[in-house]
Amino acid sequence: MQNNEVNRSRIVCTFCLGYHLDVAKIEGGWYWRVVPGCDLLNMERRIILKKTSMLLFIVLSLIIATNVVGAQNIELTYWTHTDDNRTIIENRYIEEFQALYPNVTIKRVVNEASKMGDLMLTAFSANNAPDLFNLPIEQEYGYMMHHRVAPVNYEAIGYANAEELVSQYMAGTFDTVMMDGQIYGLPLELTNWSLYINKNVFRDAGLDPEKDYPKTWEEMIEVADKLTLRNGEIITRRGFDFRYPYYLVAMLPMVEQLGGQLLSDDGKTAIVNDEAWIQVFEWFRTFGPHGRNLGSPTYTSARKIFNMDNNDIGMCLTGFYQQGRIRIDNPEFYDSGEWMVVPYPVFENAVKDVRCSYYGHFMMVNAQASAEKQYWAWKFIAYMLDHGWEYLETVNIIQPRQDLLDDPRYMELPYMVVFMTDMAKSHMVFLHENGFQFERFIKEAIESVMLSNMPSEEALDILRERIQEVLDDSY
Amino acid sequence: MRKNKGFSMERKKARWGWVFVTPSLILFSAFSFYPIINAFYESFFNRNLLSLRPPSFVGWNNYTYLFRSREFWLSVQNTLIFTAGTFVPLVVFSLILAILLMSISRLRRFFQMAFYSPAVLSSVVAAMIWLLIFDPRGLANQGMNALLGTTGVNYNWLSTAGMLRLSTIVVYFWKYIGYFTVMFVSGIGAIPDTLNEAALIDGANRWKLFWHVTFPLLKPTTILVSIMTMIQCLKTFSTQYMFTSAGAPTRPINVITLNIYNTAIKDYRIGRATAMSILLFIVMFTFTWLQLRVSRTEDVSYM
Repeated sequence: MQNNEVNRSRIVCTFCLGYHLDVAKIEGGWYWRVVPGCDLLNMERRIILKKTSMLLFIVLSLIIATNVVGAQNIELTYWTHTDDNRTIIENRYIEEFQALYPNVTIKRVVNEASKMGDLMLTAFSANNAPDLFNLPIEQEYGYMMHHRVAPVNYEAIGYANAEELVSQYMAGTFDTVMMDGQIYGLPLELTNWSLYINKNVFRDAGLDPEKDYPKTWEEMIEVADKLTLRNGEIITRRGFDFRYPYYLVAMLPMVEQLGGQLLSDDGKTAIVNDEAWIQVFEWFRTFGPHGRNLGSPTYTSARKIFNMDNNDIGMCLTGFYQQGRIRIDNPEFYDSGEWMVVPYPVFENAVKDVRCSYYGHFMMVNAQASAEKQYWAWKFIAYMLDHGWEYLETVNIIQPRQDLLDDPRYMELPYMVVFMTDMAKSHMVFLHENGFQFERFIKEAIESVMLSNMPSEEALDILRERIQEVLDDSY
Repeated sequence: MRKNKGFSMERKKARWGWVFVTPSLILFSAFSFYPIINAFYESFFNRNLLSLRPPSFVGWNNYTYLFRSREFWLSVQNTLIFTAGTFVPLVVFSLILAILLMSISRLRRFFQMAFYSPAVLSSVVAAMIWLLIFDPRGLANQGMNALLGTTGVNYNWLSTAGMLRLSTIVVYFWKYIGYFTVMFVSGIGAIPDTLNEAALIDGANRWKLFWHVTFPLLKPTTILVSIMTMIQCLKTFSTQYMFTSAGAPTRPINVITLNIYNTAIKDYRIGRATAMSILLFIVMFTFTWLQLRVSRTEDVSYM
């Protein structure tokens, strides 16, 4: 046998710990085997190699062990906006969820609503965003378009597929968060605004709140003027004021009532129907300090002071959720029945009966979070949102779940009929990849007319130019 | 032999110098040089802040766009108005205050502290305080009405273009007047008393003493304060940001830094925003270079 061996050779692996590969050509065929012992390596080298390999083994074991432990303990970061009522119940949901799943820890971070957009963008651009969050849909839309959020994990939320999930909600709920057949968010709330009225202020001005509330924007000017108190030019009580940063939600519908649009139907041209825009701009000029001096963005937010019933605001636009905030800020006022809700006004020469746009706050999950985190984030979101009735009763926010809407108690909630009637005549807030930017441009245009007394035509030209530039841009 | 030893000592000192300077150089490189270089690099790309797509190279397009942009030139104009409106009163009044402070011996320290205290406030807090003051029902309207003997006049501090610009100037002036006053105080303090005494013996009155002795000797401090004020004014951001967030119209106070912020954070166009910041950097760098050059040539000797 030995005589037949030809071209026998040894190949030694440098990581062999003293083993070697014995390769031999026997009777024309090649054979190989692993043989203990390696005479090519001296003892010292072998010891070093053994030690190195042992160290590598320990490090690898540690890495694997850490990953296993990491896989067991999930820490989720949840960013949301300020809402005292919601904080109370969601902190409880977190405790309950953590008790159910001890391997999951949830850190809830509350941010000022007006700052959330900037904070979220900065966090996402630095790839250091929270695992789950909610924002108004007009801001979230860009995140979805840029694939920064993960599609819903149906298994985690207990549904078989998208169809089953959609069937559980009001028709159209997911239209804005659906892309390429995938759903990217679950609705925390769907909100529209109607007009809250302080009856005391009306009576103080000699008006009957039940009859004299404004039905049109023209009436709004007249009624607000009657309610407004001034010390010279300085307003001490406003009859009505807007929620100024939210131009897409509350002011674009005014333009739409007159037949105007922000973009043409094909989305390529900015500003449709100049007359409609100019009428709205002029309305704001009349309302502002250069007109009848009824209000301005520089005064304290009307919605915030409404709850206090301090005889400083007569009317404000806000959602059903305001009732929960009045209850917590001023229970006496809430129980007094001295407030009421009436529909969003319409222009006398309106060509379309469009009411204040509704918007959604959708719960979304960061696409850059690990698959495991995404799974647990969706599971936690589903757990929270399973308390739809408590959200409605405690926080006064409406989750458009079919079971909730079908509940006979739903329409019996204070002024729910007003909100639902307005919502039936409205549409989802204007959504566009650059919607957030367009809102800023509209803000600047209206403020220029209202506060700096810029001619409406000039403000509209600047607005058109700026939006068109974004549309034409090759981004 | 002695020469070699000296040379070795010098080298030894220089080595230690490097040891002490290295940490600050490293930190400065990491937190200042790198962002500047990175910003310059980014300014040649189109990048959406929200997008994960790789940015596309556009060469000088961001710069050429800015030179054509009406909004950019408006922000340049707003920055210049703010700088001019703030720079002159700041330099003049801080010098006057410093002279007044130096002329009193009692309570000097107290006034120095009182004037300086707004400078230690964060700009955001300062803007928030002034937002309350400029509220239509706030102290500014009350004060002006009392001063002018009017009733209920709304001066629209946060509304009309002119008043809004003035309001931002007032906030900045209030915040930094003490800071620059203290700089002038230290400048005046460094002038030897013998020079003043000699002038007084020669028959100079207070006015002549100021114009012919103090002011010429304060030239380096005045130049330093001027350049620093100008650079501070060009960098102004927090006041304008807070005011516009509180509902004031953006266009009259849309300074370059606010435009950079809005372009990057609201419009997601980081390439365009960095191009703007590079242009602002060039302007500020020019002023810094001027400062160094002037302070070197205008050194004053008291001997």
